[in-house]
Amino acid sequence: MSRKSRLSVSRPITRRSFSAGAAALAALAAGGSPLRRALAAKPVKLGCLAPLSGFFAREGQACKRGFDLAPAILADMGMPIEIMMGDTESNPDRARTAAEKLVNEGAEVLIGTFVSGETTAVAQVAEQRGVPHVINIAAAPKITEQGYKFVFRNFTTGPMLVINGFGLMKDLFKATGSTPKTAVFMHVNDTFGKAMGGGVKALFPKMNMPFEISTTIPYDPKAKDLSVEVAKAKATGADILMPVSHGADAIKLIREMVKQRWEPMGIMTPGSPGTYEAQFYKTLGKYSEFVIANVPWIDPKTDMSKTLLAAFAKEFPKESPELNVGFSFEACLIAADAYKRAGSGDPKALADALRATNITEHVMIGGPIQFNEKGQNVNIKSAALQNLDRKPTVVLPEASAEAKPVFPMPGWTDSRRA
Amino acid sequence: MRGVGAVLRGAPRAATGLAVLGAALLVAPLLVDDYLLSVILITLYFAFVGQAWNLMMGYAGQLSLGHALYVGLGGYAAAAFFVHFGLTPWAGMVIGILVAAAFAAGIGLLAFRFGIGGVYFALLTIAVAEFTRILFEHFEWVGATGGFFLPVENREINDLLMLRGSPAMFYYVILAMTVGLFLANVALIRSRMGYYWMAIREDQDAAQALGINTFRYKMMAVVLSASLTALGGVFLAFYNNNLFPIDAFGIHRSIEIILAPIIGGLGTLFGPILGAFILTPLGEVLTWALDQLGVQMAGVKHLFYGLVLLVIIRSLPGGVWPWFARRLGIEGPEARP
Repeated sequence: MSRKSRLSVSRPITRRSFSAGAAALAALAAGGSPLRRALAAKPVKLGCLAPLSGFFAREGQACKRGFDLAPAILADMGMPIEIMMGDTESNPDRARTAAEKLVNEGAEVLIGTFVSGETTAVAQVAEQRGVPHVINIAAAPKITEQGYKFVFRNFTTGPMLVINGFGLMKDLFKATGSTPKTAVFMHVNDTFGKAMGGGVKALFPKMNMPFEISTTIPYDPKAKDLSVEVAKAKATGADILMPVSHGADAIKLIREMVKQRWEPMGIMTPGSPGTYEAQFYKTLGKYSEFVIANVPWIDPKTDMSKTLLAAFAKEFPKESPELNVGFSFEACLIAADAYKRAGSGDPKALADALRATNITEHVMIGGPIQFNEKGQNVNIKSAALQNLDRKPTVVLPEASAEAKPVFPMPGWTDSRRA
Repeated sequence: MRGVGAVLRGAPRAATGLAVLGAALLVAPLLVDDYLLSVILITLYFAFVGQAWNLMMGYAGQLSLGHALYVGLGGYAAAAFFVHFGLTPWAGMVIGILVAAAFAAGIGLLAFRFGIGGVYFALLTIAVAEFTRILFEHFEWVGATGGFFLPVENREINDLLMLRGSPAMFYYVILAMTVGLFLANVALIRSRMGYYWMAIREDQDAAQALGINTFRYKMMAVVLSASLTALGGVFLAFYNNNLFPIDAFGIHRSIEIILAPIIGGLGTLFGPILGAFILTPLGEVLTWALDQLGVQMAGVKHLFYGLVLLVIIRSLPGGVWPWFARRLGIEGPEARP
């Protein structure tokens, strides 16, 4: 992104304003009061919390990469920020004290945390101390049902994830002209898998899907192999497999499918990780191809995303950007934008500005970032992410697509997998 | 064993220190900022549950590695009755205690009746805690894996009856609970039951030969310890306003509970309290020190934390309190590991 790409203080971020840059900055300089200009130059202090150590360290570190990249990119957009990092240590008690500490040290907005229990602890500190809290990642629906006045979430809830996932499946069938008649739903039987299973059970009948779920097969997260489960799924003769997995189990699942020569029309998760991670490609090679995951993702088509992805590639050349990076960056963007519009570091003015957020140009796929009366962004959408050439590729929605979807997927021995 | 008063009368420095600490804790919300208050509050919580665990392990010699079970049961029971029926947590607390006591009685009955002791008893406590965690992950009435949330209200007035209010109110509640349990422990340890527990801990066969009903007194230790831990769970649930099975019953929670009494001194009255006042602030001090040194590497804090614990355990295997008590001039059982 050019250094001339700046944003107007008084307007929401739009694609046009983002790329117009210099002209908007000139308008700002001409129209803004000296106080506003002074405030715009002063970085807003963001207390960013993530589980950098402990059980969720891997995901917390991914969030940190998003926070690390934000200051340079946002400063370039005329929205300087200062990151104050706090480690929640994957522990809600520690999250609470870390949030208190950041507020004491001058954090004007809290961001975090990734884990719902920790996020609730931070939200309470935010409410008690009157400091706005932007949630980057945490899916428990109840968090925004508490009547909080200072809490804003820019992440999907569990039900939103399932609804978006099913919606994309319908889009995929329409785009490719192939519609399956039956599906098998397999999910890992742990906290996440059970929650997704519950969501699918509750929402599938309401989504008017063109296929039936023949059977649901839960499996043990510590299962050494999935031969029995895959044999059972294959025996149903289902057209597609909908897995909800984590990582290693997704690899075991595909290996077993190859071994048993089960070649359904497609493998598509309604919203879970496991199939778009480096280990998946490395271990499975050609068998990792064409699997689809419907998850929130970085929109490869926006100017801001391109800037973020370029910065990521430069800073972390050996890693792949993913949704934790995008949402964490976007939380900083939301806070910086609100600070700029508020024209003040006053918590109430900041909260009011956050409530009025309307960011049309951002990094994650979906509509403009806007918060409803509960502080939830309801415009977040998922992407259909297909493994093509050993990397996660957005194939839907069409506006963000990097390639055409391949469905039905080619068989295990098909030359297109080479 | 002498009472605390008697102990302190013989050690004026200790009496003065305790008086100063008591006064400081009483006025802490007026003197410290919200961050420090949250640190002291969580320290007091660990002092409370550490004392509860110490009754069972430190005095009766029964090792539980699944005490988070009772924290979770107490918290879930009181929170569920509060959310679903509007029941005051003080009444919900009774239900939580009864549920925890029933679970503890079940474990005790199974273990002591069939001669399961030592590490096998410890494994049983872990197993029941894990089993209960899985059960609660499927228990929709309390939110299952999605978590159970208490409604949060930013009240101007502290409502002690409903345990809704400011951190300062919660601070005084946990302070009263910790001091109350300490005083109750003093009385308990000086009672016939306390002596029986210590006899069982030292040599169960000898205690039995002397006519002590070891089954009965071990059961009492387990049930009492579980009930008190459940009380701590009620406090934590209403302070945090949310419950997730993994955070409530997880093995990491059980380990957190036992660290303070082990570091402070097992089987001592002051040990769990001193241990909590070492461990929680130690974590914060390490965070601060690493910040000052500009060390950003995640996990380094845990490395130092582990090293400090290693040094303490290596140099003071009986815990910090017995060593500290001797330094203060306190004699007798309280100064012995």
